[in-house]
Amino acid sequence: MIEAHDLTRKYGDFIAVGGVSFAVPEGEIVGILGPNGAGKTTTIRMITGFLPPTSGRVTLGGKDLFGDSVAVRRDIGYLPESVALYPELRVEEYLQYRARLEGMERSAIRKRLPEILDRCLLDEVRRQVIGTLSKGFRQRVGLAAAIFHDPKVLVLDEPTVGLDPKQIVAIRELIRELGEKHTILLSTHILPEVELLCSRVLIIDRGRIVAEGTPQALRERFKGRLGISVELAEGVAPADVAAEALGALPGVGSVTVDPAHSGRFTLECEQGSDPRASVFRLAVERGWTLTGLAAESASLEDVFVRLTTRDDEAAGAPGSASEVAA
Amino acid sequence: MRGLLAVLGRELRAYFFSPLAYIVLTFFLIVQGYYFSLIVAYLSDPRAAAGKPLELFFGQTIFTWLVLLFAGTFLTMRLISEELRSGTIETLMTAPVTETQVVLGKYFAALVFYLFLWAPTLVYVAIVRAVTPVDWGPIAASYLGIVGIGALFLAVGVFASATSKNQIVAAIVTFSCLLVLFSAGLMENLFQSEAAKQILGHMNLWQHMDDWSKGIVDTRRIVYYATGAGFFLFLTGRALAAKKWR
Repeated sequence: MIEAHDLTRKYGDFIAVGGVSFAVPEGEIVGILGPNGAGKTTTIRMITGFLPPTSGRVTLGGKDLFGDSVAVRRDIGYLPESVALYPELRVEEYLQYRARLEGMERSAIRKRLPEILDRCLLDEVRRQVIGTLSKGFRQRVGLAAAIFHDPKVLVLDEPTVGLDPKQIVAIRELIRELGEKHTILLSTHILPEVELLCSRVLIIDRGRIVAEGTPQALRERFKGRLGISVELAEGVAPADVAAEALGALPGVGSVTVDPAHSGRFTLECEQGSDPRASVFRLAVERGWTLTGLAAESASLEDVFVRLTTRDDEAAGAPGSASEVAA
Repeated sequence: MRGLLAVLGRELRAYFFSPLAYIVLTFFLIVQGYYFSLIVAYLSDPRAAAGKPLELFFGQTIFTWLVLLFAGTFLTMRLISEELRSGTIETLMTAPVTETQVVLGKYFAALVFYLFLWAPTLVYVAIVRAVTPVDWGPIAASYLGIVGIGALFLAVGVFASATSKNQIVAAIVTFSCLLVLFSAGLMENLFQSEAAKQILGHMNLWQHMDDWSKGIVDTRRIVYYATGAGFFLFLTGRALAAKKWR
């Protein structure tokens, strides 16, 4: 339904999005996942035609977004990240305005309004002035406006950001329902959201797609690839000697020494191997006192953190990664 | 067309439901009423030269111009810059409407509110009519001039509003442009070259308003206002499109 071909967006020398290509098949919910500043909003804006790509192309149902702009835009319902509304309008006035912008007839709008208000749980505030609404209600008004004209494609930029847990559940439920009839592209930095809602995930970081697939496939891809943490008693072996010995074991990919504790190592294992037994034998052979040995299989969260943690952060504080995990 | 009407409807709502509109309206009427009473007081003085109150109200004094310059600035400064600032521009420009529809919808809303501002001044005509017979021709011509020059000024304001997300900046840009437009014609006599004199003479808005108030209808002036307004509205459309293509 949506196809993005090699989308690139530069701001001066800064590449916000560099060569992103993907497709959103009809009837699916696809999630764009990435830490803050990864290029999610820029990508979304290019998909909705708000921001022209520096190079690359977007087509929607085979029609070019920038060539057939007005006609194509009718097929998109868009909830921008900021959910900017007109504070002086009442909820129903705003929805009517947006529907008229989409070119709907007055009679059709009148028929559709109660249905939408009901569906987005806005009945109680229909006569309220938007400026007085809470963030949760505003988000729902924005969503209601995006789906009002029943577009083929919904593009939602961080639809649950800034909501309380109860509202998040309600909005997700609504998105899931909408997903039965619409093609949806949504962006988020919250992992459970993707696992709950999306049939496909794109993980983007620093303007590039770093992984792509179903949530299951992504987890699968890193499953069996164990991370093993090894802890030796303090002082039994110099860190570099131990690290070298551990790294030489069959099935071990790389060894990281914990900077805070010279006896603690993290081993990244090769696909499908579990070298815990050989770690144990090595410790026995060398006479090292082994105080900890544990395996962690990758969750989607690990996949995400590993893919998006920058090299310079890996050693120190993974700021964006921990924010993402939260 | 429906897109244009949707934008027009929302903008009118924004004008009439916002306190700013009523503040502008109130001060507009206070100032106009003050000018009118000054003119009447002046003409009642037996030593004063003979004159027609409505002619002086619309032309030959600086009063009209102060009102026009400020109205052109205040009515338009919000129109597009507010959408840029709040981010509502994003849903507006991704809706299936063209830049032209958006610009014209906003412009016509400003024009409607501008006419609404001037409408109460018809009372002055009624007041004068109550004491002395009036000549309707010059009055009709005066309103034609007011609408024409207003249409031009508002178009300049709409354009300035599209250049900044800050309303104050938009207002300053508008006011400066309007001052240039207004004063260019006044500099007519500073130039030696015949061509420059002629061009500036055609653009002399002060002279225009003087003539309108006397009932002199010159269609070339209507063409000047219309093409000027069209030009600035075209620039506005381009400015909006440019935001999408940067």
